[in-house]
Amino acid sequence: MNLFRSEEHARRWPQFNPASEAQRGFIPLPDLAAFFGTESRRHMLDADYLSTWYPKRGAERRAVLERLGRGDIPFWMGTPSPA
Amino acid sequence: MPDPGLPDRTFTLIMRGLIERGSAPHYAELARALGLSVAEGRQALLDVMQAYPIGWLHPDTDYIASFPPLNSLPTQYRISVRGEQRWFAQCGFEATSATWLFPGATVHVEAPCLDCGEPIVVEMRDGRLVTVDPPGIVGHLNWGFGPSRGRPPYL
Repeated sequence: MNLFRSEEHARRWPQFNPASEAQRGFIPLPDLAAFFGTESRRHMLDADYLSTWYPKRGAERRAVLERLGRGDIPFWMGTPSPA
Repeated sequence: MPDPGLPDRTFTLIMRGLIERGSAPHYAELARALGLSVAEGRQALLDVMQAYPIGWLHPDTDYIASFPPLNSLPTQYRISVRGEQRWFAQCGFEATSATWLFPGATVHVEAPCLDCGEPIVVEMRDGRLVTVDPPGIVGHLNWGFGPSRGRPPYL
């Protein structure tokens, strides 16, 4: 889960996983900020974060991925890869 | 009798300790702050890490290595706030979430590109991207989340 100067830079990375292309492994920075900026993330300093907010994280992430058109991609949904 | 509020208090101590010092507290420090024995403090730590599995202890230790969005173990994702570089993000993705730990402040993330070593700079303030240099920065998920990742510790 890295940042690169561009997609071309990522593809030149010696550890680049070619299978990530088919899994739409690239994500624009604004989408990434949205994915990691869901409501629960805004409460990480709250005294009840672990019990109240963290459990909401999974559903929030799924909702963002659906909105970004990645809801059916195993890489992003955390399900076993078909490969 | 179990204390139902203990995991939340332990979590908060760890997160705020990371924010204050840039490194995670040891369980003996947690124990003292929580009014527990050292053994109870260690168990409180283990319970939190189980409840917050996106973080992890360094293998074969009770040292917190990762407690996202921050990392106690240095990574290439250096975070500066108000001109002070004290923190590290767990990964490039979590780097975009660190903004929520520093409300009202500009969070400066700088990392070398893994291809060329040239710098990548992202600045955020209260969740908004304020600087992206170079403008074409992208996130890349090399291995999937969860079981599809294959190698759990690998980021």
